[in-house]
Amino acid sequence: MKFASSAKFAAVVLTAALALTACGGGSSSSGGSPGPVDGKGKKLSVLTGVNNQYSAQQKQWFTDIAAKFKAQTGADISFETFASANDELTRIQTSVVSGQGPDVYSLGTTFTPTAYATKAFVTLSDDDWKKVGGKDRFNPAALGISGPDAQHQAGIPFVSRPFVMAYNKDLLKAAGIDKPATSWDELAAQAKKMTDPATGTFGLATGYKDNFDPWKFIWAMSVQAGNPLVDGKTLKLDDPTVKKAYETYFGWLTKDKIVDPASIGWSNSNAVAAFASGKAGYLMMTTSSSLPTLDKSAVAGKYAYTAMPTTAPGQTSPQGDGANAASILSGDNVVVADYSKQKDLAFAYINLITSKDEQLNFQKIFGDLPANAEALKALDNPALKPVADTAAKSKATPFTGAWGDIQLALLNVVVQSIPDLSKGSVDDSALQARLKDAQSKGQASLDRASK
Amino acid sequence: MSTDSLTAGKSTRRKTSRAAKPGPQSPDGTLRRRKGLSERNRPLWMLIPGGLLMIVIIVVPLLLGIFMSGLDLDQYSLRQWVSAPFIGVQNFVEALTASPLLHAIWLSVSYSLLAMVVTIPLGIAGAVATQNAFKGRALIRSIFLIPYVLPSFVVATVWRTMFQPGSVIDSMLHSVGIDAGLWLNGPQSYWTLILVQIWASWPFVYLLALSGLQSVDHEVHEASALDGALWWNKLRYVVFPYLKGPLSLAFLIGMLHHINNFTLPFVLFGVPAPSDVELLPILTYVTSFQSFRFGLSAAMAFISLILIAIPLFIYLRAVKLDDAETPGGKK
Repeated sequence: MKFASSAKFAAVVLTAALALTACGGGSSSSGGSPGPVDGKGKKLSVLTGVNNQYSAQQKQWFTDIAAKFKAQTGADISFETFASANDELTRIQTSVVSGQGPDVYSLGTTFTPTAYATKAFVTLSDDDWKKVGGKDRFNPAALGISGPDAQHQAGIPFVSRPFVMAYNKDLLKAAGIDKPATSWDELAAQAKKMTDPATGTFGLATGYKDNFDPWKFIWAMSVQAGNPLVDGKTLKLDDPTVKKAYETYFGWLTKDKIVDPASIGWSNSNAVAAFASGKAGYLMMTTSSSLPTLDKSAVAGKYAYTAMPTTAPGQTSPQGDGANAASILSGDNVVVADYSKQKDLAFAYINLITSKDEQLNFQKIFGDLPANAEALKALDNPALKPVADTAAKSKATPFTGAWGDIQLALLNVVVQSIPDLSKGSVDDSALQARLKDAQSKGQASLDRASK
Repeated sequence: MSTDSLTAGKSTRRKTSRAAKPGPQSPDGTLRRRKGLSERNRPLWMLIPGGLLMIVIIVVPLLLGIFMSGLDLDQYSLRQWVSAPFIGVQNFVEALTASPLLHAIWLSVSYSLLAMVVTIPLGIAGAVATQNAFKGRALIRSIFLIPYVLPSFVVATVWRTMFQPGSVIDSMLHSVGIDAGLWLNGPQSYWTLILVQIWASWPFVYLLALSGLQSVDHEVHEASALDGALWWNKLRYVVFPYLKGPLSLAFLIGMLHHINNFTLPFVLFGVPAPSDVELLPILTYVTSFQSFRFGLSAAMAFISLILIAIPLFIYLRAVKLDDAETPGGKK
């Protein structure tokens, strides 16, 4: 009994301190000059996210890439996958503390600042960039969240996954709308025309219970109104633009009634399902990876992607850098662990997977856009054109180690407001109090970051 | 969980065997002397491997945890974490004054207590109902155990699906004219948690109660029947005293298990948790693994350890479970 409680206690506190998983690289010193890497007898360890949507294809991709890598360098690769962001965090923390683990990690873009703050990953020198094929091989916009500035970059862009919206062409036409909205106000007005609760059709499909989507809306509407959220060492969640963003986002449900009331319990995949069944005019906050799903659904051939609005609620045109904030800069970066004893081999692997051919191949299988500039240009699927355009109009979230906390605080405002949403209205003073709480928590975290 | 039940099973067995035997306190000279002899030659060195293991997997992490609670340890200092700045009790001060820790403690303790208060009568009822042999008893007993053998993760996932807005439970209630509102967020989520916890953990009480019932001697039943005791009197004065031991054990283990339960609230409500169900383990987890405040969360965990240790200690003193073989004897 004593054993059980202490053991659990230990498990909760000390997962980070106890390095339980030790895996990965054999030991050998790195060479140093660019050129073909001889990796005979070595094994590179790569940690990447599991792809539940295309798991068989992902396994195949692992096998193919491993074979190509072996042909190039003579070295083997062992791929490991993590199931969720939490899983990934735990793995990274364990490896950071113990100084051993995978050589190469795949990271979501918004997590890159946090990972960078641990200083556990290689900040690439000019030489290192050459080893991965040169910095100019990448879409310049995709480099926006690789590091705090152009000289200090740790994340090497692997794929872009800009957020767009999909719209049902038939529903828009039936409502007499000739082109999709470019401002949030217009979007709400159009959605209203398409909403018909009697048939279960709603203008917008979005999930209020999603773990990521809600803060992205708030971020986008705030940035488009000229508030970058983080201004130097100051957090600006107590700004009227942020409140307006929440009011708009909640208003879709409480005032405009243009979303399914059940969506307070939805995650993004529920919204995709609703749109796929033809019951929604717009599918908000989606990526090109929904394409294979939608192409097999009832809306196949009847939908198109387009950029989300860039004009903030109540405004007539994008403020500040708003026109370039159609989406957060989203996708995956790869980073090389600082403790890795085979960095050259790691760079050779990244060189392989970010080459034009491999990037195009990856796009075909998984739908994610290439980070390789040439490959991005070579895309010929017209459906992807608006998505590729959005990739260029994506804006990086603030590069600070505190972003994780800020994101959590933004999301928490929505989580705590859900009971109000279900009752049909969010009390103004309650929202104010939640924003104040988010501001103080986020600011405290930002203070730690700039210490 | 598995450790809990294992220990529980062992202790119960120990207890029941004690109940069955004549009390060891009985003035039996020969027994005493034999014990003294065996005590002298006990091969204590055989405990060394187990002892070392205990040190490595319990004592060392515990000390590390206490050490961490004095450090300003976050993602900026994680890499060289041993040399993170030492800030004394500041983490404890922050945990107690500037974090929702006290609220979380209140939620955890109250929910555990409420769940326990309901599961104990349920468990006893289940055990009494299946005490006497009848056709299909084995089947019923197995069915009773289903919630207990299902992994917590599965239980939580299934309930979460059923509690979704507009899902099974809502439409069932709707058909009888009740609009229940939100289950997985808002004030009602606290009761959702208790409900699911009761469902998942009552078989544990049932198991221990059943083991207590098994230890009631047949003669006792006969004697009370001869004395003309009716079912309630029999239950109250004959059966319940036998159950006191196993049930207090169930209460203790259940409370500890509920307070430490992470999977159930995490899967049911996700993070960030609605403030009505921001329990102690969830808060510690978020502080560590979402906000990277390892020092602060170590302090929180240490406070909660003390919190759990106090009633545990008092209880162990009271029932002397820690040395059941030699009551009162100190070695």
